[in-house]
Amino acid sequence: MSGLSPIDDPLAGPFFAAAGEGRLVVQQCNSCGALRWPPLVGCPECRSRDTTWVDVAPTGTIWSYVVYHRAFARELAAQIPYTVAMIELDDGPYMIGRLIHGEKPPAVGERTVAEFVESEGVPSVQWRIP
Amino acid sequence: MDAGLLALADAGISTADLDGLIACKSVQGQGNDVAVGSLLGLNLPYVQSLDYGTCNFSLHLAVMAIVSGLASTVLLTYGADARSRKFDFGKPMYGADMASAAGLVHIAGRAGLALQRHKAVYGTTDEQFGMLAVGQRLWAQKNPNAIFQQPLSMTDYLSEPYMVDPLRRSDVTMISDGGVAIVVTTAERAKGLANTPVYISGIAEHTGIRGEHNPENLMRPWLIDAAAAIWDSTGLTPADIDVLYIQDPTAVWSLQMLEYYGFCGLGEGGPFLAEGHTLPGGDLPLNTHGGQLSESYTWGWMHVVEAVRQLRGQAGERQLDSPQTSLYCSSHGFVKAAASVLSTDPGVGR
Repeated sequence: MSGLSPIDDPLAGPFFAAAGEGRLVVQQCNSCGALRWPPLVGCPECRSRDTTWVDVAPTGTIWSYVVYHRAFARELAAQIPYTVAMIELDDGPYMIGRLIHGEKPPAVGERTVAEFVESEGVPSVQWRIP
Repeated sequence: MDAGLLALADAGISTADLDGLIACKSVQGQGNDVAVGSLLGLNLPYVQSLDYGTCNFSLHLAVMAIVSGLASTVLLTYGADARSRKFDFGKPMYGADMASAAGLVHIAGRAGLALQRHKAVYGTTDEQFGMLAVGQRLWAQKNPNAIFQQPLSMTDYLSEPYMVDPLRRSDVTMISDGGVAIVVTTAERAKGLANTPVYISGIAEHTGIRGEHNPENLMRPWLIDAAAAIWDSTGLTPADIDVLYIQDPTAVWSLQMLEYYGFCGLGEGGPFLAEGHTLPGGDLPLNTHGGQLSESYTWGWMHVVEAVRQLRGQAGERQLDSPQTSLYCSSHGFVKAAASVLSTDPGVGR
């Protein structure tokens, strides 16, 4: 992150700022209305650059998931085993994120809810099976 | 460089016969055209560097260079020292992004997501999918060049712990050093050369460069478009393929391409593999050198070398019974797909 907070990132900053306020947001094209994630400088559907950030429902289903038993980076070693899922948001876009699960094991098709967390002063989003 | 000289010797020509060089950079960024040229000691008319591995993209560029008249005899090179330099394959593939921030790193992450989905939707089992890793090891045991030759039974495979669940260590490419080179020239010129020529009977590509976080990115259905293009342009069908090569950084690629290229139905890869078609003695030999899972990690390049050896009848203990036509399919990660048909018969694909 080279010392810069993700909140200052010109492209993705609004996502982290909203997460700090407990809201899940994605970009929406002002021209064609398409929702998009991850953020881009323009709309791949209609090529317009006119964009707003909009709130989406913080809920979705697990499209798929993986469980890491090996750390491929030093900073991940303490987190092994950890689960990453691709969530199909109820509002449409797909989002890849960390999945926290308790007694209920992850499964494709399982319902999940976004959880707003903060790590070293940086707000972020993870997903939990309720 | 050593591989380049071996390829020239195999063709019975010298550096003086070359008028083109296409150098494929390694994942580590080494081996571009100028780096290879400084060792070749030649100022050739046509040279190019490619970022894309798998050999298919280099092969296709060579075809284009020759057809356009830019060159007539082209040396293709690839070399990497990923193992000895301990290259970090855990680094984000396409720049830092939200997915890697969540810990989705290494190709096993995205490939694992695709396989987990395949298992959930189609009921593919670990035992069915494991036929790829086990089968590649059986082939590698017949290949003196293969790095992994120790036996790998299905019991051994299933008892391996998950590395990135649902993938085990044996489902993912090894990391190795290696150099590979190939000479491509016109059919006319090839007739007079020392070794048996193998003809490039068809080429096709398609991309998934939108590369979003979605099912299209992970399941890679755009591979079907590359498949349709290679079958349409050659007039061939899967039944015409005597031996199949699939570039396999993970075994998930083989599962997907068996389906997308039409060797079995969509979602039917698991049962198809369980029937043993791709094993030694099967009716669809797959990666007869052991592929990237068991032979070596040369970004798909050894798949082409092996196809040429099989078609020429020079594959030693693992030689098939007179194969005539081969398909090599590959992909560059989650963004580009390519396929080539190779044959000993110059009439194939015409």
